[in-house]
Order: sequence, then structure tokens, then C-alpha cells
Amino acid sequence: MNILINLLKEIAVFLVIAYLFSKTPVFKLLLAKDFSLRDYFTLYILFSTMSVIGTYFGIPTHGAIANNRVIGAVIAGLIGGPALGFSVGATAGIHRYFLGGFTAVSCGLSTTIEGLFAGLIHRYFFNKNKHERVFDPDVAFFTTLIAEILQMIIIIAISRPIEDAVSLVKVIALPMIISNSLGTALIISLFRDQRYNYDKIGSIYSKQALRIAKRILGELNKGINRNSAKKIANILLEETSVASVSITDRENILAFVGVGEDHHIAGYPIASDLTKEAIKENKIVFIDGSNEYYHCPISKECKLSSVLVVPMRVKDEVIGTIKLYGQKNKSFFKINRTLGKGIAEIVSNQLLAVRYEYQKNLLTKAELNLIQAQINPHFLFNAINTIVAINRRNPNKAVDLLIHLSNFFRKMLKRNEDLSTIKEELDHVNSYLEIEKARLEDRLTVITDIDSNLLDAKIPTFSLQPLVENAIKHGISDLISNGKVEIRIFRNDGHLQIDIEDNAGIYNEKKGKNGLGIRIVDKRIKNLVGNDYGVYMHCETDLKTIATILLPGGGIN
Amino acid sequence: MLKALIIEDEINAKGEMELLLNETGEVDVLRKCSNALEGIKAINSLHPDVVFLDIQLPVINGFEMLSMIEESNLPRIVFVTAYDEYAIKAFENDAIDYLLKPVELERLKKTIEKLKNSIQNNNPQNLTIPELRRIPSIGANKIKLVDIDIIEYVHSNETGVYFFCNNKKCFTELTLKVLGSRTKFLRCHKQYLINPDKIDEIQFEENSTGRIKTVNNNFIPISRHYLKKLKERLGI
Repeated sequence: MNILINLLKEIAVFLVIAYLFSKTPVFKLLLAKDFSLRDYFTLYILFSTMSVIGTYFGIPTHGAIANNRVIGAVIAGLIGGPALGFSVGATAGIHRYFLGGFTAVSCGLSTTIEGLFAGLIHRYFFNKNKHERVFDPDVAFFTTLIAEILQMIIIIAISRPIEDAVSLVKVIALPMIISNSLGTALIISLFRDQRYNYDKIGSIYSKQALRIAKRILGELNKGINRNSAKKIANILLEETSVASVSITDRENILAFVGVGEDHHIAGYPIASDLTKEAIKENKIVFIDGSNEYYHCPISKECKLSSVLVVPMRVKDEVIGTIKLYGQKNKSFFKINRTLGKGIAEIVSNQLLAVRYEYQKNLLTKAELNLIQAQINPHFLFNAINTIVAINRRNPNKAVDLLIHLSNFFRKMLKRNEDLSTIKEELDHVNSYLEIEKARLEDRLTVITDIDSNLLDAKIPTFSLQPLVENAIKHGISDLISNGKVEIRIFRNDGHLQIDIEDNAGIYNEKKGKNGLGIRIVDKRIKNLVGNDYGVYMHCETDLKTIATILLPGGGIN
Repeated sequence: MLKALIIEDEINAKGEMELLLNETGEVDVLRKCSNALEGIKAINSLHPDVVFLDIQLPVINGFEMLSMIEESNLPRIVFVTAYDEYAIKAFENDAIDYLLKPVELERLKKTIEKLKNSIQNNNPQNLTIPELRRIPSIGANKIKLVDIDIIEYVHSNETGVYFFCNNKKCFTELTLKVLGSRTKFLRCHKQYLINPDKIDEIQFEENSTGRIKTVNNNFIPISRHYLKKLKERLGI
């Protein structure tokens, strides 16, 4: 009984040590699923020490030592596998051997075997893909229980004289089996709880980072300027526990919000040498406010004492910084430091994406100009020919058509804004259709069905006419019987939908030929409002082709 | 007076052309056609001296239409176009002329002079006729263009000319002569053309005749007259 109580006392000491250990950075090693060779070494030193201490803490009994040596070896085996369990067990075992006594060999050997045994339990769960089970206190309890029974058998089997061995086992077996199984289980349960806490902190941090990222991304669509910088700074201030947030470009403060915003003013040149250093050296600068103080270069009254300056980069070029400040007498949380770095990275990536998008848009515009230049002569000569022919019989109609032709070309040449209202686009299309109707006369019927509430919604300039032209050029005019074009503009399930339908149904056959105009319209829409929108072609051979432009409900802003 | 056809799909352009031709006082417009198929029919039945042919016609363009007319029936061709004069230049030969829309009366008169000379002197019209790649077939209410590569054989009887593809029988207005001369099809019988790519085997019979087994297990007769030519063409 005495032995049991003493052993339990030792275990209490072990628990305290384990608890303290779980608060050190070394504990983070146990969070990983795989260990590096270096990790194994660290763990080996750690658990071997624990095991050896277990021997020293032991209580001398009947020429042997009742002890907690097994705990270090079993935990090493459970967490690190057979190799680690064996090495820790062997180290503690050899150490025990040199302490002597009639059980020197049997105790040394049994500790080695116990470590290896726990390692095999580890292997068993890993093979079954149940990694978490090695941190299960029940598993730890029974593993140690069996290991200790094994030890008692080994002592009786090896130690001589056998009578002494048997009487020793009679005394130590129960206390050691109970206390060590319980001890291992408790330590493992402590480790498990600490791991769980780390996971929870990690997930809170990830959630916060994600939420910030989501809010920031929306503000960066047009790159970084004083307007977007202010919005981002406010988001960061709301989402983190820092005192104030500043965003700069290479020369000036773009935004400053929070404590000290009375004297740190947006638009002013950067005053802080730390920021200049961060930009020049392309590195993170951190003044923690406890070992080193941040001194405000502008006002002595400034309450800020710590600062984190993170450069924002596009490719390798520093384009500015994000700065997070802490107040005097308040610690700058480490989590904010990590977060600050993460945010700068998100902003940097997004800015790169924005620049890329901008260049893509330039390219699309160039393509658009090209196609505008390409299609004109054909249409122009056909139109002139039609007008000349009509002029002889109906001069008034010819004048009308000339006005439409002039309207069509003026719009085409003049409009270089990105967006136009549906009304403007329809006006353009109407001029085009008037001329085509005169040319094809009886062969072309146009039906329109337009929701008049949508006339002011904006769509990319010059996106409607190419699709109507497509329906006529590659649809109707390749039809011997009469052709019909229907233009429908309506709201569909919260989206704005434009359908251009012809009754030729020959889109698929000529895919290669007429795709370019449609592809450019599609690309422009996707560039502006994302991949959920664009132009969709639907063709029922010989029956109809529908070109659908799908846009956000309110058009494009 | 020159007997002329106008083939033009745009109604205004058609009227304008007729008006101008009448104004020259030297042309009698026999008919105005709106597409290539109407044009082929009119050429085969009216035998005009000249055709004013728009190039951009629906479904079958002006060039392609030429490949669907028998050489002996081919009238003089004047191409008419609004914009594609480069396309014609690549196609033309000195013997033919082209007009740009809108057409000027004075320019048209020169063309008529050229035509009259050419007909009087019986100058040959060196048209480069393109190969026939698609065969028009008129169905119940539409025209289909069938790629010649999928056609197995062509058969003519007293009711007309039919081609067979995918074991379906399709009527066409084109003659066996046109189909035999403008495509890779081979004549094996007075009433049959065979697509050489669709021959599975040739079975010889007594008295110098034979039959062709097609890849779809149809049998086409070979007459004595064509057996020898067929053997030569196939190199056997």
C-alpha cells in the first residue's frame, strides 16, 4: 500500500512536468502527424529523460526498485512508433542495468520490450488509419497494463534466485501495474486536451483570416488607392484587436484609422524610418513594444508603442506596406503578427490578379477594335448598294436608310466607353436592322420583346449588335426560305437575360467561322462580372439558334 | 438581243440590275432567280447566253453553283459582288468579267460589248470550275447539302437522279453527267455512278459484265461498256 501511494505521488510530479512541457514550444511537435529525424531525436531525448527520472524516483524494495520508468517508454512508443519506443526503452533499460541488483538484467530487458510493445500498438493503429487512437487514454491504460504484466513475467522468468523474484513481484506487481497504467493514461489525456486546444485556436485563427480575406477581396477589384485603402484599413481594425491600421504606397500614407488618426493623416508622406526600411529592404519590420519601443515620428503625445510593418508586393516589387499598431501598456498579440503577414500576402496576390485582369482587358479591347475594323467594309458596301437600288424607286426611304447608316457608324466609331445602357445598344442594333431589313426585305422578319424596366441597365458596349449580326449573317442569310430574328430582353430568376433567336439553326456547322465576335463578347462579360455570366449558344440543327447573354440582375455597374 | 438571267438574293439589287440591263437596250432578261438552285433550273431549261451571278448567295454560293452545271450547258458568266472583288480576281480568267455593286450603267455597257464580241467570235470561256464537294438534295420543305464522301452510289431512272447514303435514297436535280465529271465518282453503268471509296469488292461475271459489292452490302451492276474503263481507272 505504501508503495502504491508513493508511486502515485511520483506520478503527480510527472503530471506537473508534463503539464509544464505542454506549454512549451516543444509540445507543438506532438501536433504533427509525421516527424522529421530531428523531431524524433528531440522526442527521444525528452522521453528517455522522463524514463530515467522514473527510475531515480523509484522506491527501493526487496533489493529492487519499484518505479515509473515504463511511463516514458510507453508514451514514446505510442506517440512515436516502434523505433522510438525501442530506443527510449533500451536507453532507460541500459541505465537501469548499470544500477545493479538481482533484477538488473530482467528490468533492463523488460523496459526495452515494453517500449517496443507500445510502438507496435502505435503501428497497429496507424495501419488501420486510426491515428488519433494513440492519444486515447484507454489505449494508454491498457497498453501499460499489459506491458507491466509482461515485465512481471520477465522478472520471474529471468531473475534468480526465483524465490526472491516471486516475493518481489508479489510486493511490487499490483502497485506498479495500477499506478503506471493510470499515470500513462493521465499524461496521454493531458496531451490530448492540449492538442485539442491548439486545434481550436488554429481554427479560430483560420476563420478570422478567411473572413478578413473575403471582406478585403471585394475592395480590391480596382487596385489599391486611397479609397480602397481606407476601406481595407477599417476592415482590419474591426476584425483584429490592434489599436490602429495604416496602409501606405511607396511614398505616402494612403489610409490611417484608429488610435492616433488625429496626427497620422492620409495623403501625407511616410514619416517613419521603419516603414522606409521595410519598403527599401523588402522585409517585415516588427517593434514589439516591450523590448523595443516604437516612437512616433510625428507627435510625442502618440499613444502607439508597437508596430508591425509588412510590405505588399506585386511580383518582387514592393508597392507599399500594411502597418498594424499596438498601444502602450498593451501587448501586441502574436496572432496579429501572423495575421498581418497573411493579410499582406492576400492583398499582394489580389493586386497581382487585378493587374493581370487589367492587362487581359486591354487585350480584349484590342481584339474588339480589330473586329470592328474587320466587319465594317462588308456591311458598308452591301448597305450602299441597297440604298442605291432603293433610291431609284423610293428616294424618301433611301434618305431614311442613309440616316440609319450614318447613325450606325457614328455610334460604332464614337463609343469607346466600356458600358452602355440597353437602350443605347438597342438604338445601335435598330439602325443595323433597318438596313438589313431593307437589304433582305421579305426574307427577314424581326420580332422584339423587351421589358421596358430594363432599358437603363448597363451592358458592355457593342455586345448586342455582334450577336444580332451573327444571327443574320450566319443564320438568316444562309436560309433560302424566310428568316426570323427574335430579340427578347427580360428578367429571369434574378438575372438579366437577353435572347437572340434565329430560325436557321446552323450555328454548330459553322462554329469556327463565326465564333470570334461571340467569344469576345463572352470574354468581356466574364472579365467584368465573373464566370457565372457570359454568352451561351444553344442550337437545334435546322430549327433555331439562340444566343443568350446572361448578366447580373441590375446589369453591370 | 442577249438572253440573260439574273441570280441575286437581294430583292432591291435584283430589281436594280434588271432595270440597268433593260436600259442598255441590248439585253432581254429571261428570269430573275433568288438562289443557286433556282438558277441551276433556269440555266438548264432556258439556256441563256449570259448569267449575271451574285457571289454571296444563301446556302450555295455563286462559285459552288458553277460546279453543279453541265459544261455544255454553261452560259457566259458575269460575276456581280458588293465587296469581294479579290475573290473573283483569284478566280477569273480574261474571258470573263465582273461587276461591282452598285453597278454603273456605263461600266455595264462595256461588259455587254465584251460579251457580244466574245459570243460572235465564239471565244471559249476559260472558267476554272471548282470540284463539287456537296450535293444539294431537295426534301419535303428544305434543301440539304450532302457531302460527297458519305455517298455510296448514284442511280438514275426515268423519274430522276437519286443518290444513296446511309441506305437512304435522296433525290437531286443534278445530272449524272455533272456528278460523273465534277466528282471522284466513277461511271460503271449507263444508269450508275459509284464512289470508289465505297467499293468493297468487284465480282466479274460471264460475258464481260460484273457487279460491285459496296461496303454496305449493296450490289451495283457493271455493264460491258464500262467494265474495261472501270478496270483502267482503278488500275486493275
